[in-house]
Amino acid sequence: MIRLYKLLGLVLGAVAVILALFPFYWMLRTAVAPADGNALTGLSLIPAELDLSNFARAWDRANLGSAMLNGITVTLGILLLQLLTCIPAAYALARFRFRGAGVLLGLVLACLLIPSQATLIPTFVGLNLLGLGDTKIGLVLPFVTSAIGIFMLRQQMLSIPDAIMEAARTDGLGPLRTLISVVVPMSAPSIAAFSMLSIFTHWNDYLWPLLVARSPEIMTPPLTLAIFQNADTGFDYPALSAAAAIVTAPVIILFLLAQRHFVRGMAGPEVAG
Amino acid sequence: MTTPVMNERPSLDQVVPGEGLAPQKPRAPKPSLTPYLLLLPALLAMLLFVYGPALLSLIGSFFIIPLSKGPWKFAGLDNYESVLGDPLIQQAAWNTLVYSVATIIPSMVLGLLLALLMERVGRMGWLAKTALILPMTANMVAMAVVFKWIFALQGGLANQTLAIVGLAPFNWLEEAETSLPTVILVGLWRATSLCTLLFMAGLTTIPGSIHEATAVEGIRGFAKLRTIILPMLKPTVVFVSVLSITGAAQVFEIVHVMTDGGPLGSSEVAMTAAQRVGFEYFRVGEASAMSFTLIAILLAIGIIGRGRSPKEES
Repeated sequence: MIRLYKLLGLVLGAVAVILALFPFYWMLRTAVAPADGNALTGLSLIPAELDLSNFARAWDRANLGSAMLNGITVTLGILLLQLLTCIPAAYALARFRFRGAGVLLGLVLACLLIPSQATLIPTFVGLNLLGLGDTKIGLVLPFVTSAIGIFMLRQQMLSIPDAIMEAARTDGLGPLRTLISVVVPMSAPSIAAFSMLSIFTHWNDYLWPLLVARSPEIMTPPLTLAIFQNADTGFDYPALSAAAAIVTAPVIILFLLAQRHFVRGMAGPEVAG
Repeated sequence: MTTPVMNERPSLDQVVPGEGLAPQKPRAPKPSLTPYLLLLPALLAMLLFVYGPALLSLIGSFFIIPLSKGPWKFAGLDNYESVLGDPLIQQAAWNTLVYSVATIIPSMVLGLLLALLMERVGRMGWLAKTALILPMTANMVAMAVVFKWIFALQGGLANQTLAIVGLAPFNWLEEAETSLPTVILVGLWRATSLCTLLFMAGLTTIPGSIHEATAVEGIRGFAKLRTIILPMLKPTVVFVSVLSITGAAQVFEIVHVMTDGGPLGSSEVAMTAAQRVGFEYFRVGEASAMSFTLIAILLAIGIIGRGRSPKEES
């Protein structure tokens, strides 16, 4: 009986791994196949002929050069601002006792329940009135803080032993010095995990850039990819797959490099329950 | 001024996660402005970009808002009436519900199963774990493009596989019967990955001593899962549910790229409909009314969920 369960588990795990990876594999396989001929539509695991010119064609026609640069600027800009707003807020909510703390924590958590469609239109109209529509600032500004970031960091900061905070105080460190030299280093796992989550989210964000970015010069990778897909090149599957691979690559590489931190840090929100 | 008691906190091994151990915060000697100043930037941003717009949107949902500058006209509940009466939006609401049920429940069950499995894999386990988390990091526009190719009528992998078994090709994305199920498959691929990640992270918080204790007591298999693991994972389950529900209710990229809601609205969901009504037809008041109907539904689910688990964090 136990053996049977083990075997079932092994099969389930193997099938899940294959299904999880298959679309990535198929993307790469299509991206290296010649655009015409049987090699593209064949079912062989590796196409009979290889054609790497798809990547160059995708790069030029999907305008990926400037899009990738914009994506990096916007994603890192958002991350920097989020860290600057979330870390102090989480510190206040985790390590200070003050009037209204409960209400303010509730205010932060309630943000998680407000779906973005409720805020899209007024934010869009407001940015346009300020003349920030169709600008990179307009792509960044609505995301300067993150409720989930404050939540994740707060949970980690709660777990810092009181003795350490006490030691910092008897050493004469003020709140700001304590934050920079004690709390931030001790919250590194959550900060790393949140940073990755933020990068994934905003590198991949599609809806907001779709509404805001009108001129090609400020478009981000998912947007140019979608436009490339809708254009009459819609059936150039090798170039499309190559473009998709280029857009996907940066976050996948980042994830592979830092995945240990990510999984461990994601446990943060649950630890203190 | 009181000194905080330092030694009362039990060691981590004895703490059961989720028991709501209140951390002892150092008491501030006197009321100070510091915490408020620390919170100010984040709160200001939330007021400007979440609460302010949400409030404006709520007010706007009771008005007819002209495209060009001009006075808003009070419309009472007219926007809600026309939203609820619009067959396209009814279809979108129904599809969103179907999409949510069909992705959330299987992805949570599969995610928990896979996370439990991954606890037992040996040295090569990190490879399997990486593979399972990969879908949640991927760019959904890019993956939607790939899936669109896999389900393409001409030359797509799905139809070629059908051809091997002698079945006729199928127009997966352009037939009303299959467009939504195909989109759901892609959503499930993504959601399972997120659930697996969060459950894996949650399982790492269960201390090794618990596993040892249950082994000594001879509690194993399903009994252990039901009586020990699941109760201890409750905070994770709540967190995963919240993320799953809000994620499914706001699914956008997959649908927008793969079918754009078509054919004939058969795969239209709340978000694509809101985008169409607000930004293609510019019926801003109605789009706002749609959002608030959705929020009301999400809040209702949240309240029901909270009522069921009264022990959650304040």
